[in-house]
Amino acid sequence: MAKGKTAVRLPVKNELGFFEIRMESIGGLGANVAGKILTEAAILGMGLNGAGFASYGSEKKGTPVKAFIRLCETDQLVRVNSPIEEPHVLAIFHEALAKSVPVTSGAVPGKTTVILNTRKSPREARDFLKLEGGKIGVVDAMEIALATRSRVNMVMVGAVARASGFLDMKALEAAVEEAFGKKYAALMKGNLDALRRGHDEVRFEEIKADGKYAPTPFRREEPKLGYANAPIGGAIYSVGNMRFKDLSTSRTGVIPLFVVDKCTHCGECDLSCPDYCFVWEKGTDPKTKKEGMMLLGIDYQFCKGCMRCVEVCKFGALVAAKEADHDVEKITVRQSITTKAKA
Amino acid sequence: MAKAAKKADARPAQTIVVQTGNEVAATAAKHVDYHIMGYYPITPSTEIAETLDAMKAEGEHDIRMIPGDGEHGAAGICFGATSAGGRVFNATSANGLLFAFEQLPVQSGTRFPMVFNIVTRSVSGPLDIRGDHSDIMLAMNTGWIILMASDAQAVYDMNVMAPKIGEEMSIRLPVMVAFDGFFTSHQKRRIEVFEDPKTVQNFLGPFVPTVTSVDPRRPVTIGPYMNDPDLINNKKQQADAMVRSHAVIKKVFAEFEALSGRRYEILDLYRMEDAEAALFIVNSAAETAKEAVDALRKEGKKVGLIRPTVIRPFPVEEIREALSKVKGLVVADRQDNYGAYGGAMTIEIKAAIQGVKGNRTMVASRIYGIGGKEFFVEDGVTMLREAVEIAKTGEVKVPYDYLGANAGETAFVPAMAYAPIPEAAVSGFTRVETGADGKMVVRGVNYRALTAREKRIAPGHGACPGCGIFTNLDTFLKGIEGFVTVLFHTGCGMVVTTGFPYTAHKVTYVHNLFQNGAATMSGITEMFEERKKRGEIPKDEKITFIMVTGDGGHDIGIGPSLGAAARGNRFILIEYDNQGYQNTGSQLSFTVPLGHSTSTSNFGPFQHGKSTHHKDTAQIFNAAHIPYVFTASESIPRDLIRKAVKAQKYAEEGLVFGKLISYCPLAWRTEDQLAWPILQAAVDCCFFPLYEIERGITTINYDPEEKGKRVPVGEWLKTMGKTRHMLRTECKPVLDAFQAEVDRRWARLKEMHKNPLL
Ligand SMILES: Cc1ncc(C[n+]2csc(CCOP(=O)(O)OP(=O)(O)O)c2C)c(N)n1
Ligand code: SF4
Ligand code: SF4
Ligand code: SF4
Repeated sequence: MAKGKTAVRLPVKNELGFFEIRMESIGGLGANVAGKILTEAAILGMGLNGAGFASYGSEKKGTPVKAFIRLCETDQLVRVNSPIEEPHVLAIFHEALAKSVPVTSGAVPGKTTVILNTRKSPREARDFLKLEGGKIGVVDAMEIALATRSRVNMVMVGAVARASGFLDMKALEAAVEEAFGKKYAALMKGNLDALRRGHDEVRFEEIKADGKYAPTPFRREEPKLGYANAPIGGAIYSVGNMRFKDLSTSRTGVIPLFVVDKCTHCGECDLSCPDYCFVWEKGTDPKTKKEGMMLLGIDYQFCKGCMRCVEVCKFGALVAAKEADHDVEKITVRQSITTKAKA
Repeated sequence: MAKAAKKADARPAQTIVVQTGNEVAATAAKHVDYHIMGYYPITPSTEIAETLDAMKAEGEHDIRMIPGDGEHGAAGICFGATSAGGRVFNATSANGLLFAFEQLPVQSGTRFPMVFNIVTRSVSGPLDIRGDHSDIMLAMNTGWIILMASDAQAVYDMNVMAPKIGEEMSIRLPVMVAFDGFFTSHQKRRIEVFEDPKTVQNFLGPFVPTVTSVDPRRPVTIGPYMNDPDLINNKKQQADAMVRSHAVIKKVFAEFEALSGRRYEILDLYRMEDAEAALFIVNSAAETAKEAVDALRKEGKKVGLIRPTVIRPFPVEEIREALSKVKGLVVADRQDNYGAYGGAMTIEIKAAIQGVKGNRTMVASRIYGIGGKEFFVEDGVTMLREAVEIAKTGEVKVPYDYLGANAGETAFVPAMAYAPIPEAAVSGFTRVETGADGKMVVRGVNYRALTAREKRIAPGHGACPGCGIFTNLDTFLKGIEGFVTVLFHTGCGMVVTTGFPYTAHKVTYVHNLFQNGAATMSGITEMFEERKKRGEIPKDEKITFIMVTGDGGHDIGIGPSLGAAARGNRFILIEYDNQGYQNTGSQLSFTVPLGHSTSTSNFGPFQHGKSTHHKDTAQIFNAAHIPYVFTASESIPRDLIRKAVKAQKYAEEGLVFGKLISYCPLAWRTEDQLAWPILQAAVDCCFFPLYEIERGITTINYDPEEKGKRVPVGEWLKTMGKTRHMLRTECKPVLDAFQAEVDRRWARLKEMHKNPLL
């Protein structure tokens, strides 16, 4: 690793002296690596001091995650350890996150530049995020990632650098090389291209806080169950209440489509689905006129898009499709909320 | 606080690295060049062993990395290794430390120095993986020196100093270096480390054993049986050494400053010169709270902060001195000594200032940050204001309280998702009959009809897309009639189904840590029977008890499982074998086969994946002579369901054990949708043969050879990112050895199939 460089001064800082970046992402999209690259570039390449970390838990692939980068000038110590609430740059890696996570929490017009990975224009993105106002940047990171055979995170790093106004591309390139150089030399060019294109192609627009949408100050959420009302010992009586969760953010653009005409109701898809998405009901087969369990369709609220069912169906009754081409709300078959008592 | 002082030319060169606390602990271990690391993975300390293993695969060091069968085993490995005369390292957290606990006084009482990194985390239960100090504070009285590293730089520095302190001839005690889980362990920071590991090694000098267990020319008895009147004298020696270590620590801090330019004091006193009110707080939160001190100082308040860098031996003299002018003190504890009206540091400080003439310090205890709850500058401000108030009024209004606990919304009633599953909704689908030959025949395995059996697990769990745990469990449960109570070991299956206040389980579910699930289930089944006997539960009530463990749970927890077998406890024990500790990030378990790469058996030029063959739990349980043992793969669901039906029947006689190979696209580095083809390849290459053992008689249920489907192991290995390297030329010997082992075990199984006596 390189020696620290001579110090850079930060263009803006918060009251504790930091320039802060928050990235909202999904496990598997590489926000952690993005954070690592930004932190290393700033410290090793630009002589700043800082910290890079992530929201921690037992999150698996496909669940929402956050990455934080806190930067200060070289002579300052990093003493705070708490997560970043009001960032200077807020990068959102996936549109779908807005559905289940308050991603814009702590975005302050005039302070925060929000970057969204999207095909939308800055104005459309603002409406989509219901953003109070301020500087908003858009970049089609998915498209660039595909074209450069890199990943969304590299594009977002480039866009974040541009939004920051001071993060040096040379330093970032060096950090990318450091991160991937040894093991993934073959991917280097694509990664560097993605970084560069993210930097060059992000489009910004300053949108006035015109009252169209309410401010989104950061709120430290407190649980509804606390010491006064939670059952002792941590017991949960609302059995199976995970069914209230929406897992659609885990998907990466592909869904299984159910072609009812081809279905023989063999039941193999039900065995192959880890997320219990298939909805069945007792009925009469219109073809054979026989009584039996009938597959009605898929509850997309739980579908993570793994495509195991498509792989397993021998009859072509499940096919892979682009999610963007379908109105999932319409084709979804909801599982009944009450327990199925056997007739 | 370690300040990066200007490097004088005479000092050895240092470089700036950007690493997490865990990574830099590994860097320090590499620089120390330990002989051995004995370890067992647990969040958030796992990364230390992972980083060292990855470095080893690249040839960066030669430390022998030994995975324990659990933390208790890891501690035993360390004890043995230190007795054999070398430098030894270990790292753990939370229940890992507690599981090793019993060994801690053994290590200190026999006076073998070593270094143990404690990456602090909340102790179970309920299980919480985030950082507080409930683990380290329990270890206070085990006879170890305890250094506290408040940031990543200190993690490196203290890890360099720790061996020197403990190995000092007048001391000979083991040393813990504790730092905050996640806050310190997982934040990337700018850290200075020595450029040349020799700098560290010269600083420490060679390890000099006092006694060793491997010198036949100097035989010695280590660890005799010692009662009164001798033990008290032995303990006096130990206590004196602990007291002496205080001066040694100071000396080593000074030597380290001369070497590195970074200065450490026993107490880090922040703006304490004229402070009348102060906060006493350890590790990372202390750094955050310094901002709070600055904020109140700006208001003109005379406040300061005290942070100890050593808590064993407790810096009594320094604390008395630091508090001599302080009138109001808040001691912040990130754990509680339930019932003691204060956390560990509160109690220690109160004791330290006892009987000091003229001391006027009034102390309040605040419990904060439990379970990793974030600590903000404002929290520091709140506590300092309380200290100011105490100083002003000379009165402690609230001596002991929780800061940051939340009452909840009293009107809130959690929504119910499901009514309890009626017995009828899960009954009447499958059954066993006795065939003409007296063997069990299973009826009702019809995939379509079985979709009507209500699922016992709700959708909405947080497993990775494509995860095999949930296909396995549901397919298995498709063969189970009636009421069920499940018990899960710690692992992916448990973590993704029960994140409070949510649960995916629609039937009654119990968790216990994965070293003790089977014993817990024994207690449940026995109590069920006893209460039936006493008429507290209707005599005809039927519940099938199913315990679920990962393969990793059968490293650390196989003892209680074999205990349940020996006791003949009547339940079904399912091991989903996803070949590794996936919940903690894919470390090797003993079931991982030769050559497979995991985060603690990396593939690289100097290491070709795991170095030993896979453990065969099905055969271990076979040797326990329980009524029913089986293996199954979800790629042949009919076979799996059929075995579930039998399992339920055999569990009326005693313990049933079933091993299910379980798809893990994340750790196996495979595409989500390929579960069945890849699992089937594992079956078809005879790595995972499908068989059952009924009252000792083995039957192979699917013979790939007979079906003409047998393939070499390479056909399976080439489908997974974690094994593809095994097909490279340099790995040929590994591949051959693996194939030979698979062949040998398969041939043996075929003989068992042929002969009912085997
Ligand atoms: C005493 C103790 N040591 C370590 C851990 C950390 N830990 C939790 S789950 C787990 C791995 C479990 O592996 P396995 O049983 O194979 O299940 P999987 O995670 O693969 O689903 C580990 C190491 C712990 N919780 N308690
Ligand atoms: S596997 Fe295909 S044919 Fe069979 S029930 Fe599912 S969708 Fe229908
Ligand atoms: S894609 Fe995966 S999660 Fe979605 S329905 Fe198919 S098997 Fe289930
Ligand atoms: S890591 Fe593997 S076992 Fe764990 S949830 Fe993900 S796929 Fe399942």
